[in-house]
Amino acid sequence: MKTFEDLLASSSKAHGHLCPGQAVGVRMAMLGCRFIGLEDPTEHSQIKKLLVYVEMDRCAADAIAHVTGAKLGRRSLKFTDYGIMAATFVNLETGSAFRILSTEEARDLVPLYAPGIGGKAGQQLEAYRRMPDSVLFRAQRVRVPLKDCDLPGPTRYRATCSRCGQVVRDRREVLVNGERLCKPCAQGAYFQDAQEITWPEMNWTPASHGISRETHRKRLMPAPVEIKEKRGIARLCAEIPPH
Amino acid sequence: MIKKIKVQDAVGTKLAHDVTEIRPGEFKGPAFRKDHTVCDGDICHLQRLGKDHLYVLDLEHDEIHENDAALILGEALAGDGVRCEGSPKEGKVRLLAERDGLLMVDTAALAAFNMVEEVMCATLHKYTLVKAGEMVAATRAIPLVMKRVPIDRAAAIAKQNGGTLSVKPLRKAKVGLIITGNEVYHGRIKDRFGPILTEKVRSLGSEVMGIDFAADDPEMIGTAVRGHLSKGCDLLLLSGGMSVDPDDVTRHGIRLAGATEVHYGSAVLPGAMFLVAYIGDLPLLGVPACALYHKTTILDLVLPRILAGEHVTRAELAFLGHGGLCRDCEECIYPHCPFGKGA
Repeated sequence: MKTFEDLLASSSKAHGHLCPGQAVGVRMAMLGCRFIGLEDPTEHSQIKKLLVYVEMDRCAADAIAHVTGAKLGRRSLKFTDYGIMAATFVNLETGSAFRILSTEEARDLVPLYAPGIGGKAGQQLEAYRRMPDSVLFRAQRVRVPLKDCDLPGPTRYRATCSRCGQVVRDRREVLVNGERLCKPCAQGAYFQDAQEITWPEMNWTPASHGISRETHRKRLMPAPVEIKEKRGIARLCAEIPPH
Repeated sequence: MIKKIKVQDAVGTKLAHDVTEIRPGEFKGPAFRKDHTVCDGDICHLQRLGKDHLYVLDLEHDEIHENDAALILGEALAGDGVRCEGSPKEGKVRLLAERDGLLMVDTAALAAFNMVEEVMCATLHKYTLVKAGEMVAATRAIPLVMKRVPIDRAAAIAKQNGGTLSVKPLRKAKVGLIITGNEVYHGRIKDRFGPILTEKVRSLGSEVMGIDFAADDPEMIGTAVRGHLSKGCDLLLLSGGMSVDPDDVTRHGIRLAGATEVHYGSAVLPGAMFLVAYIGDLPLLGVPACALYHKTTILDLVLPRILAGEHVTRAELAFLGHGGLCRDCEECIYPHCPFGKGA
């Protein structure tokens, strides 16, 4: 594994800025990898052995993903929204798993570990460099029950929501009174009032002439202007600038 | 697991912990020790101590008794020059200096240790001069029985950097004194700095190799510095010439002698115009005139640290500000006062 400073530098670059959370995340990931016996999880031989659960969507989460190479799209990174500064590192080969928690007292100890350093963030960053793991973290040996539908690899299962027709992958459907439903239909969703829309030039493809991908990306979606009903689903035609 | 039983039912059981007796102004200590087997005759004594119930322990595999915990903590806290006193008393272990010297406390590690729930350690102030055998700290686990993991974690924290507490011996320095000032050099007044500085040096176990006098002339001061170095001195104290007058040229003289570092000014009163300089690794201390009047000054705070091998720079002199104000008591009781204890 690279040095802490090297990992902090590359992680901060990937994250967008250097901050105390990056230092905590990099160190948490280094310790987690050490616990489960992976020297460099980003190496090809180790990349499929690791699963990481992060319990917060803060700076540290990006650092953990960067150091471990765990990725949401590869299913090696799991986000469980507990709001806890913690992550669990699982070795899929051996089954060993450790949950590492950032201690709250570490924040109170910052002035003692980095006296005389001005600026709150700068002092925190320096203190989190200097604190030993024993001060910065608590660790738990844990058991993480895993189903095959949670593991990396191709999609193994598909179901169709009997209410909206949406295909649901990897056993994420919910059985309600014998009905297979997607979670938004069964439990509600983070979004509301979903209305399907059409938009001008909706046949554009990357191979279309006359517009660059970048220009297309920069265009903003304006407010909807027309609503019409079709097949029982509310459809929205948005006013969108032409290509 | 802890079970509570009536004291009358405790005959034949072993005490789970020391039972403390306090007789005001007369005695404080264990009336009964842990593992003492309770007999009929003990019941009344225990009741007089307010014990109507006793604990019977049946520890789980991941639990630890306060005495065992205190020993683990004590041994982890004790660094170089500090030892853990044998068996715990009333759940507490004392840490003793193994030698004369300067007590060093890793205050960050101490704070981190004390942030772990259910453990504590109280120490003397960092930089206190201690004698061999003197108690420098005490530690204990707070509950009678606790989980083992927090104790092991606290012990790991205590062990960082070789232990939270250590006693550094003071080296026996060969000190050269340079008394500056035209008034002394030309015999207008009698030198009073020499005896004061000599006494302070001797009280810390070092010896004065020689005293030179220099006028307020940078060249002459520089020559005196080099002269002491050539005679084998490994610590120089220069008095006077540290102020703001045109005749105060000691700093200039130290620079001419080849100082590689000069830190002038400290956050201590008395002693704002103190100077620490180095020629290579060899320290030179510029003592302002306040040391002629005040019994205790910045020199008493810094000299032991220099003799303990600490490299004192601008930061160390600045951090002395908190607690660096002498109350100038009619009768000086230093070191039993707050002066210099906040750093």
